[in-house]
Order: sequence, then structure tokens, then C-alpha cells
Amino acid sequence: MKEIKIAVDNLSLSYGKNRALKDITMNIRDKRVIAFIGPSGCGKSTFLRTLNRMNDLIDNVRIEGKVYIEDVDIYEPSIDVVNLRKKVGMVFQKSNLFPKSIFDNIAFGPKLNGINDKNVLMETVERTCQQSAIWDEVKDRLHEPALSLSGGQQQRLCIARALAVEPEIILMDEPASALDPLSTAKVEELIHELKQNYTIVIVTHNMQQAARVSDFTAFFYMGELIEYDKTTKIFTNPANKQTEDYVTGRFG
Amino acid sequence: MERHFEHQIEKLKTRVIKMCSLVDEQVEFALRAVDEENMELASLVKERDNKVDKYDVKIDKICQKIFALNQPVAMDLRLIMSSLTINSNLERIGDIAVNLAEGAMLLKQKPSFWGRTHIKEMSVLAKEMIKNSIDAFIEGNAKLAEKVVQSDDRLDSLNAENHKILIEIMKETPENIEPAVHLLVMSRQLERLGDHATNISEDVYFIVEAEMIKHNYEKYLFGEDEEDDQD
Repeated sequence: MKEIKIAVDNLSLSYGKNRALKDITMNIRDKRVIAFIGPSGCGKSTFLRTLNRMNDLIDNVRIEGKVYIEDVDIYEPSIDVVNLRKKVGMVFQKSNLFPKSIFDNIAFGPKLNGINDKNVLMETVERTCQQSAIWDEVKDRLHEPALSLSGGQQQRLCIARALAVEPEIILMDEPASALDPLSTAKVEELIHELKQNYTIVIVTHNMQQAARVSDFTAFFYMGELIEYDKTTKIFTNPANKQTEDYVTGRFG
Repeated sequence: MERHFEHQIEKLKTRVIKMCSLVDEQVEFALRAVDEENMELASLVKERDNKVDKYDVKIDKICQKIFALNQPVAMDLRLIMSSLTINSNLERIGDIAVNLAEGAMLLKQKPSFWGRTHIKEMSVLAKEMIKNSIDAFIEGNAKLAEKVVQSDDRLDSLNAENHKILIEIMKETPENIEPAVHLLVMSRQLERLGDHATNISEDVYFIVEAEMIKHNYEKYLFGEDEEDDQD
């Protein structure tokens, strides 16, 4: 199927002897928002990080099974991980901006890719800030330090920075958990906007957030994918008893 | 940037308003079928009832989805809670329109004693109450909603008078029993239309003013000072 952006086939991951992910198989459709939910330690963040090989950076990790992005196995030895991470961008729980100006933070990736034309860089900064709904707040202060922005603004700037290298997939690991409700609402609204052009996978501890922003929800428990379905189905009539207990707050 | 949630709310409102206009038209057609002795119009009302039922299910589903996914609060919560009950009242109004259309088919033509009853006046009043309750919902107009609630007494007393008149007619001329029973049922249906319009208006009042006026709730059940949320 053309619509499938990411296909995961029997993926298992172990940290030493500890099996953190067990035989995960799932398809993620293009230009949709997919939320991963589950109690702490269920493997949802670990699984997210397998999608752009961030776990490669951890010692003692063993991965079995396959992850295909548009039919390409991303764990093939020939894969250029830098290119992979260009295609699969990531936004973390805490904003991790460079101690540079707002402009330089966004221009950093494109510059690394050899783009030095100031006009092109400016266009990229404006486009990505517009897409991240932060343009009006930063357009008159592009050369001020990025770290002078508020927490919510910094997180949206991180999203703008991720967009600057023109990814197709954006992974978000608890992108709003350190933000106040108003900034959270802005980030959630942004996710709704971005899914017109990107596939978004989001890990969240906040079930209501998963309900609000996603089209599909996957429930993980103890390294297993328990249930994966349309978000409406998961939150109105889940098929699995464990999912029902979790979404209704009876455990976890 | 349009809020995604607001979009969902707008979608719900649009569905409810569409159902309102369909149901309003069903009542209009059913009453005309009786008044104009128009059997084609009566059949049309019966045929279109499944459209009303479809809206009923759709609205329930949207409300369920919004509750599950968006955890509405304050005015949004009142709107969605009330949309569910408004929806079920609209569905009942649709059923009554079908009953009235069936009544028109049974009667075929208005009996000679038609003019002695209050059916015509009740039809006009019930229709007006439905229209006003719908307008109150669309405009968020609590004053108009109150007006509907106040009109219900008039409809109730016309129905009570109709009973007396029709029993009298049946006593006078036993051959009139059958058409008189049809009108008795019709009178009761019209009175029920007023009840449903009243329920809708009470919900509109709740959406706009955050105050429950059904069953004269706060004033009569609890008194001014008493808390109403004691377990």
C-alpha cells in the first residue's frame, strides 16, 4: 500500500539481557498523527527511537526485526544514518536549542547541508517559523538569543528547526510535557496543522493529549504492543481489556 | 489558526441545525397533510423519517467522540451534554410528525366537527414553539427559550379542553366516535410536540445561562440557599 510510510516487522530490542521491545509489528500511514501511550517503562520512547536509529547511540543494544521507511530497511548497513535523521526529524521533551540566535538555530541544519545563500536561509527561517506558528513572535528578534524565548516558544522553535531540513516524518517525545496549558494547546494545534504535510509520531504520558491530537493510537505495555487502532476506537471502545483499564485510569 | 476542537464543535452544531430544519419541515408537512387532506404529503413524511433517524445516530456519535477525545468543559460541556438531549427530543418530534401523518391517513378528511375543536389552534401554537426553540438554539437566545417554556401551559390547557369537547361529541353522536378518537390522539400528539419544544428550550437556556430550569429545578426542588450537589 502506497499510504504506508513506516512498516515495522517483528521488531525486538534488548538492552543487554533486558528485552525492552517484543515482536512489534505495525504500519504507520502517511500524513497521519500516531500517538504512543502506555505506563512508564512500557517501551514507547524506546520504540520511537528505533524509527530514526537513535538507539544506535546506546551501548549494549541489540535490535532484531525490520523497520522500513517507504520500503527501505533503515537498519541495512548501507544506510546513511545522517540522511535517515534528516528524513526523520525529532523533537524532545525539553527544548534543546543551541546557545545561538533564533535565526542561527534554524539555519544550522540547512547550513550543514551546504546551503549558505542568505536569502535562501532567510526564506527557510520564515517558512519554518510560519509552519510552527511562531513567526509573529520572533520575526522582529531573529538575531536575539534563542534561549531568551519562553519555554513554549523554545519548543515551537525546536519544531521549526526540525522542519528546516525538510523531513518527511517527525518524531516527538513528550513535546509538551514541560509546557503550561496555553503553550501545550499551541503545540497541539501545530501538530494538527503539520499533519497535512508530515507523518507525526508522538509519545505522550498524557492520555488526553493522545486523544486530542492523534488519528491512531498505539498502547504499549511491558514492551509489547497491546492494541493499535483509530484513536476514536481506542478511546470509545477498545478491543483489549488492558487498553480499556489503562485509558479509563484503572491502572498505570 | 483555527482551533481543531472548535472545528469539531462547529461540525456538531451544523448537524444539530440540519436536523432541526428537517424535523421542523416534517412537522410542517404532517400538519399540512391533516389540514389540506393531502395524502401524498403524509406519505412523504413517513418516507423521510429514516433521514431523521440517521441524523440522530450521527449526532450521538459526534458527541461521543467529542466527550472521549476532547474532555469538554464549561460552555462546551453544556453544549455537548445538551446536544444529546436536544437530539433525542428532535428525534421524538420526528416520530410525532410520522404519527400525525398516519393520523391524516386514517382520517382521510377532516370531520364535520373539526371546527368545534382546538386542533387548528394547537397546530399553529405547537409549530411556533418548535420554530422558536430551534431559533433559540441557533441564536443562543435564552429569552426566546423562556418564551417557549411559558407557551406550554396554553397548549396543555387547549389539549384538556379538546378532551372535554371530543368526549361531548362522542356522547352526542356515537357515529363520530372513530374520527373523534383520531382527533383525541392528534390532540395528545400536538401537546407532546409542545413538551419536546419546551425540553429543547430548557436545554438552550442551560447552554446559554448555565442554569437548569427544567422541572423548575433550582427554585422548587432545593430552595434558594440549599446546595444541589450534596451526595
